[in-house]
Amino acid sequence: MANEKYNLKQEIETLREDCLRPTQKWGRSAQIWIGCLLIVMGWGLYCYIHQLRHGLGVTAMRDYVSWGLYISTFVFFIGISHSGTLVSAILRITKQEWRRPITRSAELLTFVSLLFGGIMPIIDMGRPDRLANVVIFGRLQSPLMWDVIAICTYFAGSSLFLFLPMIPDMALCRDRLTVCDSPFKKFKKWLYTKMSLGWKGTKSQWHRLEKSMTIMTIVIIPVAVSVHTVVSYIFAMTLRPGWNSTVFGPYFVAGALYSGSAGVILGMAVFRKLYHLEKYITPRHFDLIGRIALALTLIYAYLNLNEYWIPAYKMATAEGHLLSDLFYGSYSKAFWICQFGTVLLPIIIMSFPKGRSVTMLPITCIIIVAGAWVKRYLIVVPTLLHPFMPIQEVPGKWSSYFPNYVEFSVTAACLAGIFFVITLFSKLFPMMAVWEVEEGIQIEHDKQTAIELRTKREAVEVKIIGEQVKTDIEPIKQPTY
Amino acid sequence: MNSIIKGISLAIAITGLFCGIATAQDQSQAPGKSEAAIELSYYKKADMSKTAVAVIKAKNNDGKFVPAKNALVNFYVIHDSEQQLLKSANTDNKGQAVIVLQKDLPLDEGLSFTIVAKIENDNLYEDVEEQMHYKDANLILNLNPHDTARLVTAQVTKIGKDGKEIPVEGAEVKFYVQRLFGIMPAVEDNTISTDEKGEASFAFPKNIPGDTTGVITVVARMEDNEQFGNVENKATESWGTALAVDKDPFPRALWEPNAPLPLIITISTLFGGVWFIYFFIFYQLRKISKEKQLSTVKERNHQ
Repeated sequence: MANEKYNLKQEIETLREDCLRPTQKWGRSAQIWIGCLLIVMGWGLYCYIHQLRHGLGVTAMRDYVSWGLYISTFVFFIGISHSGTLVSAILRITKQEWRRPITRSAELLTFVSLLFGGIMPIIDMGRPDRLANVVIFGRLQSPLMWDVIAICTYFAGSSLFLFLPMIPDMALCRDRLTVCDSPFKKFKKWLYTKMSLGWKGTKSQWHRLEKSMTIMTIVIIPVAVSVHTVVSYIFAMTLRPGWNSTVFGPYFVAGALYSGSAGVILGMAVFRKLYHLEKYITPRHFDLIGRIALALTLIYAYLNLNEYWIPAYKMATAEGHLLSDLFYGSYSKAFWICQFGTVLLPIIIMSFPKGRSVTMLPITCIIIVAGAWVKRYLIVVPTLLHPFMPIQEVPGKWSSYFPNYVEFSVTAACLAGIFFVITLFSKLFPMMAVWEVEEGIQIEHDKQTAIELRTKREAVEVKIIGEQVKTDIEPIKQPTY
Repeated sequence: MNSIIKGISLAIAITGLFCGIATAQDQSQAPGKSEAAIELSYYKKADMSKTAVAVIKAKNNDGKFVPAKNALVNFYVIHDSEQQLLKSANTDNKGQAVIVLQKDLPLDEGLSFTIVAKIENDNLYEDVEEQMHYKDANLILNLNPHDTARLVTAQVTKIGKDGKEIPVEGAEVKFYVQRLFGIMPAVEDNTISTDEKGEASFAFPKNIPGDTTGVITVVARMEDNEQFGNVENKATESWGTALAVDKDPFPRALWEPNAPLPLIITISTLFGGVWFIYFFIFYQLRKISKEKQLSTVKERNHQ
């Protein structure tokens, strides 16, 4: 038993070492990676300043397509942000033990994608200085206003949801960082001290933390669902072919969960490889989350069918023009690649156990994420190019749209921003919830101990019963004649 | 042959000379000054005030006349064949310079007054002047409240040599109704000429909306009259239909500025509830943070 205790202690110590190691050193590759991200972000910032100075005319957007790549990316990022809710909240509420090593990265992905997703509509504004007017003169009847309220609420909730499980880990980082021989380490010490909120791990503190986490787990799910539903309302509540759909709310939520789960899997795979977390994020994790991704892709495929099959059956005038363009017009290649390549193909791959392996699943998820992004573009742009009133008396270029270098640069900068924040986070804080994994190990250990004890007890009981049976047996009396 | 060459040379020399003179003349003008033009108008309003309005336009680089901003315009009145400076005014963004004229302007023998507007020695615009001659006229507007026919009568008179008012025959008077942002013709054909009594009249329509009590303002105008310029008068009477003002002009609806109450309550309850929970979590965090202090105090006491 003493040996077992020692093993448990050692296991926990190894876990702590493994989780905190990436925060203690900045390798050459990390520096190069951050440098590359800064270059992309700098170029994107330059392009955005260019856009601010000269107006949205420097983009490829014109009167008809006023929501181009920026708004498509906004919808995509908001979709990815559902990852935290899915993995962390849903698996937490259903008490799935295997969630423990992956919750932190999922919650982080939610926080960062929401941060940059929220910026995209501001980038799409010709006059971002008028942003305050949304609050000052906002009309509560407008879906845009609902969107602002819902996204702000979700962002605040996601920040809390990310922060709460970090408190004990911050205390661990604070206590472990004993030598502060550089200003950066002093800063880290200060940061950990502030963020740990004076965590001592007392019974009362644990009680409050667990209570808060339970409440947030319950609250964040409907908030997340409301966010993507409201994002869909921005489209569905305007009279436009392709958007005028009652199924848009669930369709967007399903799409968000589908891309969000793929985002989490990608994050899992990357951090597992980079930070050598193979011991904690195992093939079983990939298999289980792969099953969830498969289920969500099936739901998404079902809603996709409803979204296109019903109007395609009727082919009403305006919808017909749009659908013709999507099915066999200028967007047909992208449309069919999205449907078959990024929805049906992943379903087939993930249906097989080998498709949910550590290697295959991330590759499938890259396809899903890329497809989800293109799909958002296909939801936004073709509809804008097929208004009810025909496009006329405008320059010919206005009747088509493809993003130009300004839009690509700014969007790439936002994506680089997401990677930048995630990288910085992973270099400052542990990418796994250390205490949660510890708890998991402890639970597993207790289970094992209980099983062993029960087995021993059962063996003893069997032995005793066996002996009792032996002594209780009376010799067979010989019959007398 | 020589004579031909000499002739051609002479012609070239003369042409060159003329071109040179022309260029020199062009250069003699002040460089950068724009050619300007003045449109001068006279207005006599309902309150008997008289104004002179000069609209200045100057040529831009494209050769088009556009309103000249900030040009100094001097207004003169001719008295005994001499120009007396009345006032000066600068043009606004629309190129207009406006002055209020004195009531007793000096008149000539024909009982006309002459106003001259000039741009003189301006840095931006070339010198230019324009003048106008008008006689003083009165436009009297009568609306009889007891008249069941609702006859609107405007009488145009001018001042005779003996100071008496003389009716003006054949003057065109236009009738309008005052609206909030401008004037509206009172009837379809709203231009009526005065008769020998100097009167122009028409029956006021019965279906024109007035204010909440039915009061309307009728406007009579002589516009760009050759003799009298622009003369206007106004009168009010309860001849309009009373305007029914909507007691609730901004009802609560999705398409109105005010949101429906059920929507406000629903959104406030849903998101207010969520934010209330967030604040509760913050409270819990504060409690966690406070525990540090408590335990520190306990630790100290223990020590």
